[in-house]
Amino acid sequence: MKRILCLCHDVTDIDIARAVRLGYDHPETVKRFTGALMGPCQGRTCGELVLDAIARESGADRASLRLPTSRPPAFAVPMGILAAPDPDA
Amino acid sequence: MSVPGIARGPLRAAYDVVIIGAGIQGLALAWELARRGMRDICVLEASYPGAGASGRNGELIRSAFASREWATLFDLSLRKWHGLAAELDESTLFTPAGYLVIASTEAQLDLCRRSADRHRELGIKTALVDETAVHRLVPALAARFAVGGVYQPDGGFAHHDATVWAYVRAAARLGVEVHAGTTVTGIRLEGGRIAGVETTQGPVSTRMVVDAAGGRAREVAALAGVVVPTTTQRLEALVTESVRPFLRPGVALLDLLGYCHQTTRGEFVGGTERHGIVPPDSMRTTLAGLRDAAAKFTRAFPLLRGIRVIRQWAGIVDVSPDLAPILGPAPGVGGLWLDCGWVYGFMGAPGAAVLLAEAMTTDRVPEALAPFAMARFGLGRPIVEESLVVDSAMAAGASA
Repeated sequence: MKRILCLCHDVTDIDIARAVRLGYDHPETVKRFTGALMGPCQGRTCGELVLDAIARESGADRASLRLPTSRPPAFAVPMGILAAPDPDA
Repeated sequence: MSVPGIARGPLRAAYDVVIIGAGIQGLALAWELARRGMRDICVLEASYPGAGASGRNGELIRSAFASREWATLFDLSLRKWHGLAAELDESTLFTPAGYLVIASTEAQLDLCRRSADRHRELGIKTALVDETAVHRLVPALAARFAVGGVYQPDGGFAHHDATVWAYVRAAARLGVEVHAGTTVTGIRLEGGRIAGVETTQGPVSTRMVVDAAGGRAREVAALAGVVVPTTTQRLEALVTESVRPFLRPGVALLDLLGYCHQTTRGEFVGGTERHGIVPPDSMRTTLAGLRDAAAKFTRAFPLLRGIRVIRQWAGIVDVSPDLAPILGPAPGVGGLWLDCGWVYGFMGAPGAAVLLAEAMTTDRVPEALAPFAMARFGLGRPIVEESLVVDSAMAAGASA
């Protein structure tokens, strides 16, 4: 039975296992190959679950796996809000 | 830090050529050299393939430039892009959805007109389009935003990571060794010629080194005592959540110093530059950059107001004083080749790799490559290209 780990892009544990078997065996390259961590939640929901799956499949020490650098904005923001004039300017 | 195709074994003691940087330049060149019969090719990458600007760029592809030098190089590249997936037997997700440069003022339209004339001279298929045609090509564009533009129907975009991985695998099949996590710490010279490189995985002997280190190219050249006249500058980009298709071609917005496209996954991806600002070499993004991009893109595409930005990132480029790449043998050091100084590197890589591989395997510099030699700066013959969507302050920063 497959389990959905990334709810934004419907990435399952089987997708992660396949990526690792193909040779995408680091969180940075798993992210780019599967799209996990790249949806609107930016990995806040799925990040740790994806790292668990990478460790399970690759045999890497789980404690050695780090999530890719988190990028702004902290939460998805409509572009119209970011486009508003800067009140401090 | 791995992708399929990278070397799993140890670094060997000697190679015929060592390419520094497994970005799209170094990988494309490695593959072109290998298919011309060169053996014992090694690509050294400090991080993972595509970790630098090759995985951070805007993915756009065009050859519709205004100068003969740029148009010739980038049209060779565009022709390569159209057949690249078949040549590599790997997917690049190249999408020839067209590339539209949009003018919002009469002065910008004049520039488009001059570009289109030049394209006709050079045999590059573009069309000068009027306001109505622009809005037909990009229905989501704000009313009265455009006065016209120049359209290249066979331009478009590709997926940067897919293309990097495609080159890695195709090169590996031809025997190229791509070593990730291996930093070059020194370049060894003997009698003014390349003799080897020092790396974090030990020394390597070689007679030929290529500097394809992207944002770090100036530092790498300095290891061989070569001063490359570039400055390292940051570019920022943003991506939105996936939405249904609203934007078909790749677009450059001259009035906003902006460029953007909608990916095949539905995300809107784009970047803007700000007038008069020489960006620093920091890889951190700025709130000012995010606000600038949001303000400009919502002005061009009002529907974006309600679409969420999910990520903003930065990449660094090492730009030359005329913003054109520096390609060819390095002056003063036998066996050292330069493939650096890129700003439009993703779209230009497949073509530049063909020309550099030809030069390296025949000792004859192809006509299309010659203008990009580093010697142009010393001779006071910079390449003048008017249709770049970057601010002239970037060039000023590079020549300062």
